[in-house]
Amino acid sequence: MGDFKLTTIEENEAITNRLLETGAKVGADSWQLRVKNQTPHCKFGEQGVCCRICSMGPCRITPKAPRGICGCDAHGIVGRNFLRFTAGGCAAHSDHGREIAHTLYQAKPEGPYKVKDPEKLIRIAKEWNIETEGKDIYDLAHEVAYVALGEYGKIEGYQNFTSRAPEHTRELWKKAEITPRAVDREIATAMHMTHMGNTSKPEALVRQSFRTGLSDGWGGSMTGTEFSDVLFGTPTPIETEANLGVMVAENVNIVVHGHDPSLSELICEYADDPEMIAYAKSKGAKGITVSGVCCTSNEVAMRRGIPMAGNFLQQENVVLTGACEAIVVDVQCIFPALGPLSKCFHTKFVTTSPICQMPDSDFVRFDAATAGENAKAIVKMAIDNFENRNPDLVYIPDTKQKATVGYSLEAIVKTLDGVTNSQVDETGTTKPLLQCITSGVIRGAVAMVGCNNPKIRPDYLHVELMKKMIANDIVIIASGCSAQAAAKAGLMDKAAKDLCGAGLKRVCELADIPPVLHMGSCVDISRMLMLAAELSKDSGLNISQLPVVGCAPEWMSEKAVSIGNYVVATGLDTFLGVDPYVSGSDQMCELLTNGVRDWVEAAYTVEKDLDKLGDLMIERIEEKRAALGI
Amino acid sequence: MTLFDVVFAGNDAVFGMTEKAIDDAIAANGADKAVALPDTAYSLPCYYAVTGTKVGNLGEMKAALGVVKTLMTREKRLNDVFMSGVATALCAEFIETLKYMDGAKPYEAPCYGHLADAVIRELGVPLVTGDIPGVAVILGAAPTAQEGVDLVKSYQAQGILVTLVGGIIDQCEELGYKTGANVRVIPLGKDVTSVIHVVSVAIRAALIFGNIQPGDAAGLMKYTMERVPAFVNAFAPLNEVIVACGAGAIALGFPVITNDQPTVDAVNGRVPKSLIVQEDISKFNATSLEARDIKIKITNIDIPVAFASAFEGEIIRRGDMQVEFDGSRVDCFELVQTKEASEIEDHKIEVIGPDIDTFEVGSKHSIGYVVEVAGKSMQTDFESVFERKFHSYLNCVEGLMHTGQRDMIRIRISKDTFNAGFRAKHIGEVLYAKVKNEFAAVVDKCQVKVYTDAEKCTELRHNLAIPVFDKRDERLTSMTDESVDVYYSCIMCQAFSPSHVCVVTPERLGLCGAVSWLDAKATNELDPQGPCQIITKEKVIDERIGEYEDVNEAVRKFSQGALEDVSLYSIIEKPMTSCGCFECICGIEPLSNGVCIANREYAGMTPIGMTFSELASMTGGGVQTPGFMGHGKHFIASKKFMKAEGGVARIVWMPKELKETVAERLNETAKELYGIENFTDMIGDETVAEDPETLLAFLEEKGHPALTMEPMM
Repeated sequence: MGDFKLTTIEENEAITNRLLETGAKVGADSWQLRVKNQTPHCKFGEQGVCCRICSMGPCRITPKAPRGICGCDAHGIVGRNFLRFTAGGCAAHSDHGREIAHTLYQAKPEGPYKVKDPEKLIRIAKEWNIETEGKDIYDLAHEVAYVALGEYGKIEGYQNFTSRAPEHTRELWKKAEITPRAVDREIATAMHMTHMGNTSKPEALVRQSFRTGLSDGWGGSMTGTEFSDVLFGTPTPIETEANLGVMVAENVNIVVHGHDPSLSELICEYADDPEMIAYAKSKGAKGITVSGVCCTSNEVAMRRGIPMAGNFLQQENVVLTGACEAIVVDVQCIFPALGPLSKCFHTKFVTTSPICQMPDSDFVRFDAATAGENAKAIVKMAIDNFENRNPDLVYIPDTKQKATVGYSLEAIVKTLDGVTNSQVDETGTTKPLLQCITSGVIRGAVAMVGCNNPKIRPDYLHVELMKKMIANDIVIIASGCSAQAAAKAGLMDKAAKDLCGAGLKRVCELADIPPVLHMGSCVDISRMLMLAAELSKDSGLNISQLPVVGCAPEWMSEKAVSIGNYVVATGLDTFLGVDPYVSGSDQMCELLTNGVRDWVEAAYTVEKDLDKLGDLMIERIEEKRAALGI
Repeated sequence: MTLFDVVFAGNDAVFGMTEKAIDDAIAANGADKAVALPDTAYSLPCYYAVTGTKVGNLGEMKAALGVVKTLMTREKRLNDVFMSGVATALCAEFIETLKYMDGAKPYEAPCYGHLADAVIRELGVPLVTGDIPGVAVILGAAPTAQEGVDLVKSYQAQGILVTLVGGIIDQCEELGYKTGANVRVIPLGKDVTSVIHVVSVAIRAALIFGNIQPGDAAGLMKYTMERVPAFVNAFAPLNEVIVACGAGAIALGFPVITNDQPTVDAVNGRVPKSLIVQEDISKFNATSLEARDIKIKITNIDIPVAFASAFEGEIIRRGDMQVEFDGSRVDCFELVQTKEASEIEDHKIEVIGPDIDTFEVGSKHSIGYVVEVAGKSMQTDFESVFERKFHSYLNCVEGLMHTGQRDMIRIRISKDTFNAGFRAKHIGEVLYAKVKNEFAAVVDKCQVKVYTDAEKCTELRHNLAIPVFDKRDERLTSMTDESVDVYYSCIMCQAFSPSHVCVVTPERLGLCGAVSWLDAKATNELDPQGPCQIITKEKVIDERIGEYEDVNEAVRKFSQGALEDVSLYSIIEKPMTSCGCFECICGIEPLSNGVCIANREYAGMTPIGMTFSELASMTGGGVQTPGFMGHGKHFIASKKFMKAEGGVARIVWMPKELKETVAERLNETAKELYGIENFTDMIGDETVAEDPETLLAFLEEKGHPALTMEPMM
């Protein structure tokens, strides 16, 4: 305890530099080099004023050319680009959710996919008015999965999961006409609206951006989260470790990367198989270590305690250790650079999804029906590759931190039950957290999410903002690459309580939690929505009244914009550290940072300066407290 | 008003009051006027612990108030609230200290006010063993006196130490409820500021047992939160001042349970595990224990009165007495005997002779009780270990007083307890239940025979008990550090004193006086993973000071590396550490080339120029302090006492009472080691000297051996 120390950004950078030396030795490319080649970036693109939706252009807006060939102004172009960005993100998340629902549809008692959390399945079935009595759990699973898959193309009505939102929120959505319909429909509508010769009115484009985002958050993403829990178990607090030091030089190292846990779950299972371990030993290794990158890592960390090798901008570092036998990827956020990079080492770059096919990779087509064999073949491939390792190139830094992860909404409520007093309190609610907030012991909460982005020193904003928040008694819930940044720094070690203000520190001690709670992968931001909904119901306050805000300081993907839209549309002010390509339109800026407040009681704030960003969040939280008189 | 605002307002109010009180005192007496709390080596303990600065006069107190002001920051963060709570407590300590000016005695019965260091040291062992599972602070008046008294009683029956502040004291008096330190219900005072006297206990516990350095406020708060199982029950109405005091309590980790809403808003005032609103007074007990995670060990004993450690110190006066058994006048004894399992019918309680209801009120009788036990792992060596616990077991019975041991026991049973239906067989029930419960690992079967027949008692005392005692004594005298193969570690105190380790040998019992080598052995057998572990003694480093490689290894391991090496027989070279709950402390007196010993009960001055409390504050907390050593009373007569420095011949001074207690055995040892007769006559006491010069003259006159021994330093 006494020797607890955060890993600094500088230490992580030194490690990266050391690894890049190896890269230079073998002639490897790196994102750092590519960023240089791509700088400066296209100004028109950055401002969002470049339109290449039809072939009359491309058009770009300047003071001298204020309209495109069709006559669309900067506001329309920025708005269309923003909506298309959202649609891309929503499609990615939601398709991930669909895959999971599809996997559930194929679950069988004999595996490889089973129902691990039947309780949750039954709960969802009841929510959706599906008869559960006397039904075989697998029959029920298939029925529920069928309905879930139907949510993507339902002919009428809105997303089933929106019934989980507080009534006031649903009222706002109804009034603003942004209640999400079928997921596929919202994406199609977005594409249609932005087609040449359709909507150029910013307000309408933002409304559809919100509705598309909501179909992700309260639709596709929530499907991904909930049915992953049904299949693989609802996460509970579990100990793990984070940063490159989790890789073990003597072992066969398999790194899983991407977002969909279906494959990685099975890889973890086979890597644990005594037969496979014996095989690895026969090949000269001491054992098998599976570690993860990005959200696949988050998924298996919070369910199995599988260590986290790193987040988004560390994906190349994993290969640069020279000790990675295989990097196995599913979908999203995979650098095509991994192909050529893996060729500089012995590493096998294994792609598995038809959604994500890349040159210079071994493609093992993954299918729910043959998943077991696929996973086994991949583990074996990695073991067979161990002997090809070049020991001269191996460098695994010993840097790693302990982390307690796995705080699903259910786990948070259970943790809160632990601090109730059975003589006066009810259990199974978020009320203890509300008491901490209303009494002022905790000032509020920030949901920290999102990626890394080379525009910002990797992890710098995540970690520094978190440090600032916890020192001010603001609890952090984190997901995605933000969560991994926290874990790598040590902020998910329970000992990090000593970096908190007295209030949050006391809460960490009494509840036995770290000050930054790992809520999962990026689809699991849906867990944060559910938490906000519960807090609202348990307190009788509207979500927008809660001293809670969202923050994506280093975001980069289209998914992040979709997320931002559903978080704001749910009533939570959202703070960004990177501009979402809208600075070219003052109307769009005004709408997103202020105008939308009239519809959903929340808006965006974009601020690139670290201190200001932190101060603004604290200010907003204190404003909300003052408004409540707490 | 938010909860934070209430705390800030209360803190401001108390600060204003304190500032005025100090200014008035200075105006009346001048800034140089001395101020102090009695019987403590820690100045104003709370202020000293938080800041590391001692306050000796009014001027210093005024300066200290300036320091307190710096704690009173007003950001909207819990740290500011905690610090304002602490500041409120420190102000209360100043106000209370002013009451003691000029040696005044501001508190009269039933109130205690400030509690002496010795009281805290005494509480150490029962707190560690869980005999006192918690400390309740009850503040204000309950809705009705009956509800208040019922609450006090409920804690008392669980062995919890109860302290009272304000209206609850009057409520206890109103209903004639007995209070006092001996029944573990301590009224502190009627002003809210008197609550500081229990805070002061918790804080001194950290300094005494926890080796928390004065000025280490963070370490202090961590210690009290993790190790002092206290909680507060504050009755409505709560004013700002009480809420500010409550913030101080919560800062130290003590939850506050109240039947009032601290603020208007229904949710606003509550904080999980810290500030809990319980409107039903009858549930205060359960709510509080759960909030502080206090588990009560329950032994179900089939007797008609309460059974709790709180009654251990209860005194029964002649007038309240129904009947008495007195081993000093008639034949009495208590005995444990190991039998074959076939000879015992479990839970059989036999009374042989007339029962208590046939005795006249106030009469004196014989009694003898034999607890017969059987078990596969039972050893005869454990008999005396069990037997020594009888004193504490029987004393826990409400309205029963037990003193002495073996065949020198005395038992009184009160009229109330008799009227409640208590009879001779219930003595058997208590002994049966406790022996079976606490020694379950070695006792499979147990039966008890209670003799009240006078002739039978005489016969059994002489033919059964005394021969057993003689045989045991023989074994004990033949048992030396050299005659055994192993010693035992004891870390029972580590809950309180995290880096202290006792090494218990046949000739050096634990410094608390409560753990002999046999006790440690039994504890180890009963719980092999427990606080007493076997230490081998094969690799001797230095025979003279009693240093062993194996012992050092064990000490390093059990102190988590805090201690490197210890000697068993020296107080100068690598002396053994103390936890803080030692019975006696000895320290070097340079002028006479010897050591003075003071026991915890002795409140006066020693020739070293320090009282027991001050001497005791030099060591403890698991830290080695050459020249000072805490130890048990029985160790004084040991041949291993300071063996490295020449043994008991170094003892030049002891309080008279202690000297009398150890005289017989000490004289024997001195005779055996040096051929000196009546050695204790050569040792000074408070009637001879309280300063080194007078003591030296006395020692020279007596020809004390220490004067001609090698210089100690």
